Amino acid sequence: MLKLLGAAMVVAASGLCGIVMAGGYSRRPKELRYLRTALQMLETEVVYGATHLAEAMKQVGSRCDDAVGPLFCQTAGELSALTGVTAAEAWEKSLHNYYPGSALKPQDLLILRNLGASLGISDRDDQIKHLHLAMEQIKAETVAAEEEAARNVKLWSYLGFLGGLLLVLVLY
Amino acid sequence: MSKVCQTVQVQNGNKAVSDILPVLPLHIRHMLINLPQSIKENVEEIRIRQGRPLVLGLSGEDVFLDPGGKPVKLAVDAYKVTAKDMERLIQLISGSSIYALEEELKNGFITLPGGHRAGITGKAVLEKGTVRTLKYFSGCNIRVCREITGAASGLMPYLINKKCRDIYHTLLISPPRCGKTTVLRDIIRQISSGIPGLELPGLAVGLVDERSEIAGCYKGVPQLDVGVRTDVLDGCPKAEGMMMLLRSMSPRVIAADEIGRREDVDALEEVLNAGVKVLITAHGSSLADLVERPVMEKVINHKMVDRIVILSRFRGAGTIENIIDGKSLCSLGVIKC
Repeated sequence: MLKLLGAAMVVAASGLCGIVMAGGYSRRPKELRYLRTALQMLETEVVYGATHLAEAMKQVGSRCDDAVGPLFCQTAGELSALTGVTAAEAWEKSLHNYYPGSALKPQDLLILRNLGASLGISDRDDQIKHLHLAMEQIKAETVAAEEEAARNVKLWSYLGFLGGLLLVLVLY
Repeated sequence: MSKVCQTVQVQNGNKAVSDILPVLPLHIRHMLINLPQSIKENVEEIRIRQGRPLVLGLSGEDVFLDPGGKPVKLAVDAYKVTAKDMERLIQLISGSSIYALEEELKNGFITLPGGHRAGITGKAVLEKGTVRTLKYFSGCNIRVCREITGAASGLMPYLINKKCRDIYHTLLISPPRCGKTTVLRDIIRQISSGIPGLELPGLAVGLVDERSEIAGCYKGVPQLDVGVRTDVLDGCPKAEGMMMLLRSMSPRVIAADEIGRREDVDALEEVLNAGVKVLITAHGSSLADLVERPVMEKVINHKMVDRIVILSRFRGAGTIENIIDGKSLCSLGVIKC
């Protein structure tokens, strides 16, 4: 009886591990989608509203999903503190804090970094181009991430569960 | 001959400089913080040009700043502004929002919080022969704005119609840098807040501030004191702005700076016929100058205004050279005070 209970616990634990791993894969496309929406909001603020960058970042940060909000809110905070930092530096600093806790990959970080270098330093048309470029790149990454997620989510959930069963068989 | 004497109170110079600090790169900020008090109070301009020495324009002279922030006389000892400084300065002045300031760049200046103005030069980007925006920014002149409360006190008795408890239609004439804008701002402030000593109740003033010079608006909010009953239309073309204010804000007085185009005068006529008092300025150094210009000739010869005030730098900016009655074109006997 005790053995059976232990076996069930092993299967459950490894199954759970698999689900957590799978969760990690499905988080990235979600975050990428949120990021793209947030950049779209930023574009509206910048291009149609001609809102100052600090204010635009704050607006976007408060309206978009919590998964990406802090990135924009922190940039807004850095810019409003009037400590002599440029938009690129404020964005870079926020990315540095945001990236480790996110599900993003280095190539996603690179897209955001490139965008930061051109934030707020040129006229409207140029800002549109840079924002669109970043959105397009993120879209491409999202598609790739979704495919990867679809494959890996299944793989890891099965792997966890079956791995648990295997362990039980070996130990039994 | 009556004498007009001015009681002048200059805004604390220290505050004016510390207003500007946040838009400067950190090391230039430190240079300015460490300046002696006597210099800080007299700073009129901060000139920053790429590859050239950092210059402070004081009331009477220029000084260079060395890398430690000490004022020096020779250009060779001065701190040279680098390309990096320039880039950072432009970003800080614009709040990293060049895209939001296209109209301002077209005009060549950005208004900063506190009403200070940063003039900017660079390479102009043209579109169909007109300037679309600037790029490759290379020079910046931050003009410290000092509000002079009371600059128009001596003038006010001549502009008020005591019988009607109202003001006269007034035209200020002055060459550049003679305190025209400062005097206009103070007149507006006094009319708008009311002058109990002269039995003038506060009047609603509509101000068309096309170049953001009078009220020094930052994001549409006046940074300088233009009185409690003043509505400011910031950055709006004068002719259009005067009509907008007339229709929407029911002002008793409409004020505008630098009248000079035909449409301005047409709008002025509308305003006059609507029973609203006008308070305007024009470039020129005498009545004779003005009559030479076809547009302004109409204002004078059609006797559109009641009082013409001529300013000069005879005793420093804001000297009242003469006050002329607009109907008879005779001097009211106020000369050089």
